Amino acid sequence: MSNSNKQRSGNKPIFNRMFLFPIIILVIYAILFSVLPDKAGQAIRSSGNVFLSMLVPLGLVFVIMLLINLFLKPAAVAKFLGKGSGIRGIALSAVAGIISTGPIYVWYPLLKDLREKGAGESSIAIFLYNRAVKPFLLPVMIGYFGWLYITVLIILTILASVVVGFFISLYPSSQRN
Amino acid sequence: MVENMKIAVSADGSTLDAKVANRFNTARYLLIIDLDTSEYEAVPNPFTTGQHGAGIQAIILAVSRGAKAVLTGYTSPAVVNQFKSSGIEVRTGMTGTIRDAVEQYKTTSSVKVSGTETESKASVVNKSLLVHATKSSLRQFVNLLPILIGVVLLIGLFNAFVSEEWLTSFFSGNMALDTLWGAFFGSIFAGNPINSYVIGGELLKYGVSLFAVTAFIVTWVTVGLVQLPAEIAAFGKRFAFLRNTLSFVFALPIAVLTVLIVNLLGRWIS
Repeated sequence: MSNSNKQRSGNKPIFNRMFLFPIIILVIYAILFSVLPDKAGQAIRSSGNVFLSMLVPLGLVFVIMLLINLFLKPAAVAKFLGKGSGIRGIALSAVAGIISTGPIYVWYPLLKDLREKGAGESSIAIFLYNRAVKPFLLPVMIGYFGWLYITVLIILTILASVVVGFFISLYPSSQRN
Repeated sequence: MVENMKIAVSADGSTLDAKVANRFNTARYLLIIDLDTSEYEAVPNPFTTGQHGAGIQAIILAVSRGAKAVLTGYTSPAVVNQFKSSGIEVRTGMTGTIRDAVEQYKTTSSVKVSGTETESKASVVNKSLLVHATKSSLRQFVNLLPILIGVVLLIGLFNAFVSEEWLTSFFSGNMALDTLWGAFFGSIFAGNPINSYVIGGELLKYGVSLFAVTAFIVTWVTVGLVQLPAEIAAFGKRFAFLRNTLSFVFALPIAVLTVLIVNLLGRWIS
């Protein structure tokens, strides 16, 4: 049994980073307003326009998030991963990656534990890759890039995840015990 | 094959004589106990951060270890209901030693929680499920906002200062080179992918090629230089480096193929 307590620290950076970035930007704005008020005003207006164009997609994002939270339980995601082998295992890992939500840091300890329980490294790689497919962000994606592009990209992403998983399984980590 | 019934208990220590931990986010261990053989396994609880959702994560960990029921001192009724609907019993109000709690569970679980009682509570359950789902969606949504707002403000600055000429000097229009640059920038950044769509969408308006933007979007999630240390800690250097390298390499053909296929299909559809 390994001691997973060390993983605890992995949760911290997200919180800091979450506010650090916007605060830095606000400081830049504050400086800019005192030095180049015209440019600062222009930047604010431009940001406002970008934000306005996102309002509808963002509203839809919330609705889909709510639906996912209502009908998909985290326990179900955990059950998917690391079970089954072959095509079934691949499909389950991919689905788990697609429906998983929240920052990646939250998932590392759980994935680590699953790997120690025998989930293949390729399953974990497939899971991580498929996190690029975000059902709840579809409204924003389609708004920017169109449904055709998004459909093609999602299909290729899922296919690539399987290929990456395959290569990972060719070179199993020696650390595994 | 019939699996043995396993239950998990939040515990202050790693043996059956340890006390039941009152909450999951303070429990040092999760004891996974096989009710048929009385064998048990003590899993150190990695979710003792006191962070919101730590309890849920701990329960998921227990479930992934095969537990069909989870015993603890206290967790919110919404969590209990959430797991109940996916067939996992979360029983609260447990005190004393782990051994006592298990015995208590054994004696009472044969007297199944009556179906009628569950049904009469069904509407209450649904209502609290909705409340819980709304709350966690709001939390996810609010968590996403600070960085998104930062990104949007940054784009404003970008629009005010960066000229199209400057940007196109970076992205020369050379398909291979542009794609590589896009993949490179996407690898550096991390965070919610919504930000990559917004940035990518704005870059498109500046005339940056869709090849570059696609590679950027793909590596934003699949390659993570920022979270590399965490990934190494979780899965080892070899896995982390190999996975990130492969993901970077594959982003390039994905980008090229996506754009080519979209162009082809687009022409065919119209």
